[in-house]
Amino acid sequence: MSETADTGGLGWATAWRIAKRDLNARFKGLRLLLVCLFLGTGALAAIGTLTAAIESELAGRGQELLGGDLEVEVWQRDLTGNERAALADIGEVSGGTRLQAMAVSGVNAAPVELKAVDGAWPLYGTLTLTDGRKVGAPAAGEAWLAQGAVDRLGIKVGDNFTIGGKPLVAAGIIGNEPDRLSEGFQLGPTVIVSEDMPGSVGLLAPGSMYQSKYRVAFKDARSPDAVEESLQERFPNAGFDYRTRDNASPGADRFVSRMGEFLTLVGLAALVIAGIGIGGGVSSYLEARRASIATLKVLGASSRDIVRIYGLQIGAAALVGSLLGLIAGFAVTPLLAAALQGLLPVESGFVFEPAALLIAAAYGLLVAMVFAATPLVRARKFPAMALMRARIAPLSRDGRALAWVGGGMAAIIALALLTARQPLLSGGFLAGAVVTLGLLALLGWGIRILAAKAPRPANPLWRNALANLHRPGAATGALVTALGFGLSAFVLLAAIQSSINGNIEQRVPREAPDYFVLDIPRDRVTAFEQLVAADQPDAFVRTVPSLRGAILAYGPKDAMITVADMEEIPDGAWPLRGERGLTYADDLPVGNRLVEGSWWGPFYEGEPLVSVDAEFAQAIDLKPGDYITVGLLGVERTARVANLRTIDWESMGFNYVLVFSPNAIRDAPHNLAATIDLPDGAETGPLLRQMVRNFPSSSVIEIGQVLAEARVILGQVGTATFAAASVAVLAGLAVLIGAIAAARAVRTYDTVVFRVLGASRRQVLLMQLAEYGLLAIILAVVALGLGTGLAWLVVVQLFEFEWLPNWAEILGVLGAGLLFVLLFAVAGSLPLLRAKPAQALRAL
Amino acid sequence: MTSPNNAPFAISARNLTLTLGDGDAAVEILRGIDLDVADGEVLALLGPSGSGKSSLMAVLSGLERATSGSLTVAGENFSVMNEDGLARARRGKIGIVLQAFHLLPTMTATENVATPMELAGAKDAAPRATAELEAVGLGHRLTHYPAQLSGGEQQRVALARAIAPRPQLIFADEPTGNLDVATGHDIIELMFARRAEAGATLVIITHDPELAARCDRIVTIADGLIATDSAAA
Repeated sequence: MSETADTGGLGWATAWRIAKRDLNARFKGLRLLLVCLFLGTGALAAIGTLTAAIESELAGRGQELLGGDLEVEVWQRDLTGNERAALADIGEVSGGTRLQAMAVSGVNAAPVELKAVDGAWPLYGTLTLTDGRKVGAPAAGEAWLAQGAVDRLGIKVGDNFTIGGKPLVAAGIIGNEPDRLSEGFQLGPTVIVSEDMPGSVGLLAPGSMYQSKYRVAFKDARSPDAVEESLQERFPNAGFDYRTRDNASPGADRFVSRMGEFLTLVGLAALVIAGIGIGGGVSSYLEARRASIATLKVLGASSRDIVRIYGLQIGAAALVGSLLGLIAGFAVTPLLAAALQGLLPVESGFVFEPAALLIAAAYGLLVAMVFAATPLVRARKFPAMALMRARIAPLSRDGRALAWVGGGMAAIIALALLTARQPLLSGGFLAGAVVTLGLLALLGWGIRILAAKAPRPANPLWRNALANLHRPGAATGALVTALGFGLSAFVLLAAIQSSINGNIEQRVPREAPDYFVLDIPRDRVTAFEQLVAADQPDAFVRTVPSLRGAILAYGPKDAMITVADMEEIPDGAWPLRGERGLTYADDLPVGNRLVEGSWWGPFYEGEPLVSVDAEFAQAIDLKPGDYITVGLLGVERTARVANLRTIDWESMGFNYVLVFSPNAIRDAPHNLAATIDLPDGAETGPLLRQMVRNFPSSSVIEIGQVLAEARVILGQVGTATFAAASVAVLAGLAVLIGAIAAARAVRTYDTVVFRVLGASRRQVLLMQLAEYGLLAIILAVVALGLGTGLAWLVVVQLFEFEWLPNWAEILGVLGAGLLFVLLFAVAGSLPLLRAKPAQALRAL
Repeated sequence: MTSPNNAPFAISARNLTLTLGDGDAAVEILRGIDLDVADGEVLALLGPSGSGKSSLMAVLSGLERATSGSLTVAGENFSVMNEDGLARARRGKIGIVLQAFHLLPTMTATENVATPMELAGAKDAAPRATAELEAVGLGHRLTHYPAQLSGGEQQRVALARAIAPRPQLIFADEPTGNLDVATGHDIIELMFARRAEAGATLVIITHDPELAARCDRIVTIADGLIATDSAAA
């Protein structure tokens, strides 16, 4: 028989009228879709809103965060009159210094971050004290202290303490420091003093490690970049580091950008997991409506009408789920912001970022379309005859779904790539997700084939359990995909989280020294070592000359590249930015390894030489025999590259990109720096006090305190990650429940028939356990392989951390997931098992 | 195409076959049916279980496409239509009553009756549905859901749903099979009354000889073929 074309159909309004009638007000049957979309879009909305809020704060409050429109920093010297005059031409100038110092009160000593500011500070924003006063620079002889300094010194407002032997009055406790974020990671609590204080006690002696910072508030509308460029041209060798209001806190910008990217990927993972749930949910929903669809067809509905009616129902549920997700994402942002308080500038309270919400909604609806299209398009083929015959064989796949799935996926990829900060990473993630889903689908197919070919067990229950895996209409494929993806996600998150914890907990404390000491006068090194040895005989002290300078030029002798002329710093060439620590040595530093060239050895007095970090050399294409010119306290020094070496940066000891031969730079004024490793459990108070008393101009950095700070920050980051990850886990749980519930609906018939035929409850329970146990064992192996493989990629390739997973934790999480699957699968059958066979028959 | 007394045929089937399944699993359900049903005729289809009478009704009503043969129903050439074409051809022209009622469980009685008219694009579906329900004695059950109705009431709703669009043909597949004798009798009375009022052709599948005797013509099916075709006594 030939066929005519399918023309005409139901209008949208009538379709919606019919759809609405059939749609339960509480979305019964579509709740899995609703929950999955709620979680996925909620996570993305919260992440997008939070990231956008922080970024807009960073951008919008640039002047306040920087304390000016432009900042000029230089190490170990003040600006010259000429340089100051150049800044004064541009606008109002505020200057000051930053350095490490020791604050002392009675028997208490605390390493602090000393911030000396002039009367003009702050040019933008206001310093607020905890008592509510809004103030500027403190008067001479007074100081504003961070709460941490007050606690360490055991003082209160009005009490005295000393820095570098100079008595100071604690005049107030800092509540809100406007330019705190642009100061970067601090090695101690802040103490703000007047501009002349450090110099008056000799803390700014030649060679001391301090930083001069000058901020300018432009007197007229200017481009900060243009001003920076003209200053660079005018003072090419001054060794200035510049920052502008548009990039007040580059570290925070980078951090927010990377964190935002990572969290978005976690959100997308949640949405992909949710997508599987959506597919399963829609499938079950339409399966349950087989009779209604057939009835509508009997009454004259065409397959297109069916797609319209049920597409509208699913669309309505998707819209409601997404909308609820957006509301939840919007509502939880203040909580996430509170978790990040102090780490990043986030507007407190609710933040409305329409773009972030729109992107989250678009992701949600697209994912719903991609995963709902296949079951929806397949439902159009439910025949009217389904009413008159018992269950008809499973329907074949419909190619029309491919267009929807393909279109939706293309839109998701386009959206991810267009909105991503690192499109490659996002693209890679999506490709990985597609490959993973493909592999799981393949595995599901493989399990069906194997189960079909396996010998039939003699026991009818085992035979049925095996048959359930491959019989027509078996949900094995859907179960394997959903459970496999969900369990893999659990393993992935556990492996990432435990690996990051492992990096923090295992590596850093084991290898870090207890103290860094800065600015030890060159002529008093022996006295310093003796002092430490007298107090802590088992301590290990290592000292190195400590200078700072900027790389001005590098390359072959006749073709050196001037850094100031470079338009862009190559990847991995971070030492070209601003001033860096420099040192000189007779011997190859401990923990370094020579990879090219030769070391100069002790008592070398030939051509000035320098040893360069091999990674840095590779980034700027530098080879032994080339030259490097550095600016050291305003004087240019050139040295030939003698060798390249690798550095173990994680050792947290003294690590320098450039190590010179002593004759190259030892004549420049400088001090020494030291690391002190104390035996475990050593009491540190007396040693700190001795050092402060005998070396008042030196500063001590307590690594324990710094690490504690770092842990707090990492803890906050961890909280944000965990919050996002738990959404993925929740979505995974919803999918697991949905997949098992859908499969259970099919099993109910078998269970009842087995009960009628005389199977005991125990036997039926065993049958369920056998089927799910078999699947669980296979999926556990798959999830372990997939999850840890992907986690390795994230930890090692994305974060560049060491692979330190906690296997007990991972296996625990996987075991809990499997247990959950088995318990839920079995628990669902209990009502039927409790019922008498006759009752169970009526329940069908 | 017309009947011998020049009335147009509501149904005209030639050499209809229906085979389900493929290869070794293929089953011939209908093996060459020739059948003409005149406009306004009331036809009873009788036959033992598995004889093919329900399948014949499914093919004649457009629920199933015949494997081969030609079929014209209500002036439409069913032989060349795909499933969607058949669905549209049913709209407004064919009403179907099934043994198990098959009401839409999520819709009220009125909505159930209105749905086929809405599918056919009628603007006045709701008032017509209400009127038809009142005509079958369910004026007091308009907003009830199927689960809130008795079996007899559900079948009345199904009958109203089939008749409300004023179809040219009504097919009824054992409409009393799920009902007790008294209720079944009421439903049959109602069905015949409503059909007469609408002037529609009625094809009814039944095992009940008494019911068959009330029809104009009785066709018995056996093993996928028409065994007898006679006027009712």
